[in-house]
Amino acid sequence: MKPKPLAIVALVALVASACSSSAATAGPKVVTLGVDLPLSGAETPNGQPTLDGVQLAVDENPVAGYTVKVVAKDDALNGKHDPQTGATNVGQLITDSSVFAVVGPFNSNVAQAEIPKSNDAGLIQCSPANTNPGLTKGAAGLALRGSHPDKIAYVRVATTDDIQGQAGADIAYNVAGAKTAYIVDDTETYGKGLADQFETTFTKLGGTVVGHDGVGASGQADYTALLTAAKAKNPAFVYFGGVTATGGGLLRKQMVQAGMGSIPFGGGDGISDGSAATASSFLNVAGADGDANTYMTVAAVHDIPDAAKFAASYKAKYGSEPGAYSASGYACAQIFLQALAAKGSDREAVRAYVTNTSSTFTTVLGNITFDANGDTSQHVISDYKFDPTTKDWKYFEQKDFTSGVTTTAAP
Amino acid sequence: MDAGILTQQTINALTIGAMYALIALGYTMVYGIIELINFAHGDVFMVGSFATLWLLATFGVEGTINDPARLVIVLIAMFAFAMVTMGLVGVVIERFAYRPLRRAPRLAPLITAIGVSFILQNLIQATYSTADFNIPQVIDPQAGVSFTMPTFNVGGFAVTSSAVTASWVHLFIVVLAVAMMVALQLFVRRTRLGRAMRSTAIDREAAQLMGVDINTTIALTFFIGSALAGAAGVAWALNYGHTKFDIGFQAGLKSFTAAVLGGIGNTTGAAIGGFLIAFVEVFSSQLGYARWSEAIVFSILILVLVFKPTGIMGQQLAERA
Repeated sequence: MKPKPLAIVALVALVASACSSSAATAGPKVVTLGVDLPLSGAETPNGQPTLDGVQLAVDENPVAGYTVKVVAKDDALNGKHDPQTGATNVGQLITDSSVFAVVGPFNSNVAQAEIPKSNDAGLIQCSPANTNPGLTKGAAGLALRGSHPDKIAYVRVATTDDIQGQAGADIAYNVAGAKTAYIVDDTETYGKGLADQFETTFTKLGGTVVGHDGVGASGQADYTALLTAAKAKNPAFVYFGGVTATGGGLLRKQMVQAGMGSIPFGGGDGISDGSAATASSFLNVAGADGDANTYMTVAAVHDIPDAAKFAASYKAKYGSEPGAYSASGYACAQIFLQALAAKGSDREAVRAYVTNTSSTFTTVLGNITFDANGDTSQHVISDYKFDPTTKDWKYFEQKDFTSGVTTTAAP
Repeated sequence: MDAGILTQQTINALTIGAMYALIALGYTMVYGIIELINFAHGDVFMVGSFATLWLLATFGVEGTINDPARLVIVLIAMFAFAMVTMGLVGVVIERFAYRPLRRAPRLAPLITAIGVSFILQNLIQATYSTADFNIPQVIDPQAGVSFTMPTFNVGGFAVTSSAVTASWVHLFIVVLAVAMMVALQLFVRRTRLGRAMRSTAIDREAAQLMGVDINTTIALTFFIGSALAGAAGVAWALNYGHTKFDIGFQAGLKSFTAAVLGGIGNTTGAAIGGFLIAFVEVFSSQLGYARWSEAIVFSILILVLVFKPTGIMGQQLAERA
């Protein structure tokens, strides 16, 4: 039996009027800011402080006429970021009509799986931490937004690995004074891309790359053979492209056991996951001897305009210092909240406003605009070194790759 | 050519191979006696490393032990505890997961084995977590003997040698693993219980008619196999000082490959296979193909299955047609 068309129209009208009247009487409209980050297992130290940043932004920046609810999805499976889980999470956020924007993901290969979905649905995503250039730029970026190549639905406030890799090479060559380097990557989207850029820049600076090999991203635990081969080539620096969960910490720990502990070690933001006291963090897994002489870069602005205020309000709420990407999570949320205030909660209106190259957003990171690919106008990398006193990463300088200005930390 | 590097890599390969071989023995023994690929075996190994973590934490051992007498006591305690508890875990798994299915089609216990694997992983996730755990390395991992290999130059063919470091923990693992393998061979070949195991493997019904207690014999096989996996877990803890709930998967898969390569069901073959796999892995890293080492190892598994399914040594225990 077919339902009568007229009955359906009547029903729809009834439901619509019921909805609008309830909205009118219930006050502010409830909208959802979706979040997709790795929130369990070994990557909790990455995801949780970022999520806390998002929540803090929502609490501190109310939008008139709206109640913004944060719904966080965990894209870690068995304790490790998982592209398929991320894609499923984004699918669920797309079907929830109250979601007007999504903050996340954290990992580049997860973004690879999510961008086609959010692009297809026209739901804007802002990643606080993705750094792989191929997610937005060139043919690779175009292929990911297959459904609507002209309607970008993915922006990021972190600068890209072509810049982060340069910063890593700069540390190796200029800060650590190394003329030779051995590179290890974890064969993932993020790690391989970062390592390749390090190799290009290090060579361009005048250094010699004595070897570049990869380690299996899943479950490999023994790097002694690789390190024996590397040791024979006498590198003055070892660079790791990858994250702690794909072997960064264990690689450094076994370097010490192989008698290579005195060789400086560097990595990207994938090993920026908290102090030595944080379970599963790079500094925790690498051990006390491994931590010495390690460097790390973060694709985020360290000297944010009002760092002290941000750190104070973060600490007041969560009782700890902000994580490396807490401010970035905060900034992503700010961008969406400003779009919500300006354009309402319609997904397409928010998407169009955020990706418009002439929109400028005032964020905790400073003023941000997005270019035609959805990449941030800020090309800043912050450099950190392990500090044995606090057993944590210590910021020592940040470089703006647009202006070429290096800001050194106050002593 | 650098003889020093080759020697160093050989030591690396022997250490990894010793651990693979210990795990592979459990796969091959169980297959030999009840023709089951016990996919939960890699996770028994993983639980063994957590048993070591628990023991050291409970008795307040926090780092390297320098007093030799105390070190020996702690090592004996670690191995005794992990091997006995994992042996019992193996017996319990056999009793409740596999024995009820002994006459079921072969697919049923295989799927049960995968289920048991998940149960063990989830137990660790629930009691510990999915985080990484640092296990105190009671033997100083950096201590060892350093030496150089003899060098010579014959007609332009120069052999040099960089310094080789044989760390105590590597030597200890290799010696201990070989001792355990020899002991296992003697047990299987020379004792009454070993003969019961061999006869059960050849023909279960006939063995029963001859007065062999089948259930006890199979339980014993699981006990020994799982105890060896427990020993591998301790070796892992000593060597890497690290564990995580998912280490059993990759190590189990490689050890299974080793067992197949050596000839599944054959205990000597499992030991040889373990060392072979490790050598392939280590020397592909030495040649700068570390990113391909897993692909190479599993390609070997496929080639063996296609061209010589009985492996290098062939089946020794299960001789029925």
